[in-house]
Amino acid sequence: MRRRRALEALAALGTSALVGACNTGAGPAGEGTRPPGKLRLVFKHQPLWGDPAPFRALLAEFERDNPDVQVVTEPLPNASDVVHQFFLTALEGGARDFDVFVVDVVWVPEFARAGWLADLSATFAPSALREQFLPGAAEAVVYEGKTWAVPWYVDVGVLYYRSDLFPEPPRTQADLERMAAGAVAAGQVKHGYVWQGRQYEGLICNAYEAIWGHGGSTMKDGRLLLDTPEARAGLDWLRKLLEARISPPSVTSMAEEEARRVFQEGNAAFMRNWPYAYAEAQREGSPIRGKVGMVALPSLDGQPGSGALGGYQLALNAHTPSWRREAVTKLITHLTSEKANEVLAVSYGRNPPARHPYAAERVIADAPLVARLLPIVERARPRPVSPYYPMISDTLQGEFSAAVSGIRTPAEALARAQRLVDHVMGAG
Amino acid sequence: MKRESPNIERTQARLLVAPAVIVLLGVAVYPIVAAIWLSLHRMILVFHEQRFVGLSNYLFLIHDARFWTALGNTAYFAVVAVAVELVLGLGFALLLNAAVPGRGLLRASVLVPWAIPTVVSAKLWAWLYNPDYGLITRMLPLGDVNWLGMPGWAMHAAILVDVWKTTPFVALLLLAGLQTIPGDLYKAAEVDGAGKLRAFWSITLPLLKPTIAVTLIFRTLDAFRVFDAVYVLTEGGPANTTETLSIYAYKTLMRSGDFGYGSTLAVATFLCVMAISLVYVKVLGREAGLG
Repeated sequence: MRRRRALEALAALGTSALVGACNTGAGPAGEGTRPPGKLRLVFKHQPLWGDPAPFRALLAEFERDNPDVQVVTEPLPNASDVVHQFFLTALEGGARDFDVFVVDVVWVPEFARAGWLADLSATFAPSALREQFLPGAAEAVVYEGKTWAVPWYVDVGVLYYRSDLFPEPPRTQADLERMAAGAVAAGQVKHGYVWQGRQYEGLICNAYEAIWGHGGSTMKDGRLLLDTPEARAGLDWLRKLLEARISPPSVTSMAEEEARRVFQEGNAAFMRNWPYAYAEAQREGSPIRGKVGMVALPSLDGQPGSGALGGYQLALNAHTPSWRREAVTKLITHLTSEKANEVLAVSYGRNPPARHPYAAERVIADAPLVARLLPIVERARPRPVSPYYPMISDTLQGEFSAAVSGIRTPAEALARAQRLVDHVMGAG
Repeated sequence: MKRESPNIERTQARLLVAPAVIVLLGVAVYPIVAAIWLSLHRMILVFHEQRFVGLSNYLFLIHDARFWTALGNTAYFAVVAVAVELVLGLGFALLLNAAVPGRGLLRASVLVPWAIPTVVSAKLWAWLYNPDYGLITRMLPLGDVNWLGMPGWAMHAAILVDVWKTTPFVALLLLAGLQTIPGDLYKAAEVDGAGKLRAFWSITLPLLKPTIAVTLIFRTLDAFRVFDAVYVLTEGGPANTTETLSIYAYKTLMRSGDFGYGSTLAVATFLCVMAISLVYVKVLGREAGLG
């Protein structure tokens, strides 16, 4: 195993050296002319779930307008850290077998700095992006004054509640605890509140939401704020949910889909998840169809809380030869158009990254909850923005997991996390 | 006896061995040396940064609590898993060695867990352990146990998967050893009035010792480098309590792209495995025919 890893590392290094050598030459690697026949573009994205037909229709429309182009989609795994790892090895190895791919909001500074994303500023100038898209979404794709990707859809952590059990959603954490405990005591549901507590990227979103919900901030003057009273209060709350059995012990091994299954089968009163779960919960045959509400996360003072900003942007592979780039840019334009935003909103419950589509008739009529999400999306906050994010995330995953599973007190875990993260960022 | 031209013969021998030596240098020695070389650098993939830092990665390693936890996890995993596999494997081997009808079919079916790819079986077990839908949770009267999410439980859940998967392999190796023991010995013992248990302690176990030694070496080294089963089950969580050295090295190398420190971890794993091998060769070398 060890040897193989070393070999892989060497292979990656070798290729990067070769690619680097090529790049110092006349132009991008693999420069050439376009071969005759149909141009086959490969688009790598994560599953959208739901009925695939509307998305296929969207791609078919592009192919109709561009008869010389064929678009092939290749699915990626659902877990974002697995996808990150795939791109790390593929792009460092100079992969050219895909042209357009999705990047998570937290990857843009890292990938841009690594030289894996083509500069899209010529077509999508940063100033124009800021006008078209919501502030958080636009900021996520601009790094050092250039555009490296185009927002496709944004995600934001939200609270789901069972509208058949509660006339009003909870506004504070105390409300949520009380209502959840009441529903469990009355035998209406098996569990109170499910969220994502497995040691993985999703836990970082859940933990930051709890920290923000207790008045905490993410960064100050380029330093992460972890060892603070607000952060301790946030993690203390998550731990308390488990200790008081408001959240079942299985939360510490739950990712999004595990939580959604429990909630969708009617076994939980509340769930923290991304907006995608709404379309699933309302699908025909879902046991909780018509009994689901989606609101902002709770906070201390009852004001709508902040959800973690997630979502995906479309990027152009830096290794894609220039004769393909015009078609790829067109495809990105098509897939990020307001019409595409609407299709994703109506058919897949994905939130438009631009403000306009929220007011579209079709969205208001067919996806009223998405339309209502605009204030929550506007309040979404990013996780730490840094090219060091993969290392920061690795540290935080372990420490946050220690805090929620009770191995260390939140205070100890946060002090450790602060020390380790300062080391990582300071060393650069 | 006088040789005609010893020089030519020697050259010929060297030429014949050369391909094997070159392959070994290429696939074994070169990567090891390269990993050691990388471990002396600060090197982060995305920053295209490579700078010689001497032994500072190793200094960091000594004070890295996460490394020591991973080492402890790995050692615990290896010791418990191998001990259980050896005892169970011996039991299975004795059963399979007995002359029962349908022995061939039995031997083949025992191998099924070993034949399933580890990732597949780990995923299967992850579902069995699922606290809401898992069969194990339903069948055992343990209440609300979240096997893979609770510290202490998760490591043992991973060990159980490894035992399930690897016991057949151990049984097969031991069965081969059992079959080399001449049947006459047992007949003679029976004539002398020795019972089954006595025959096991005085004949089977001593004569099986070389096979047991080889099995131990194989399994311990394998278990110490465990990666796939644990990674699929828990990714090292909760709170890194199931993080083994291989997983820590992998995350640092491939997830964070920190090739300098990741290589340091890989070299540390390599040194541990070397140390175990040396101890085994010294203690069990003669038994295993390695001395």
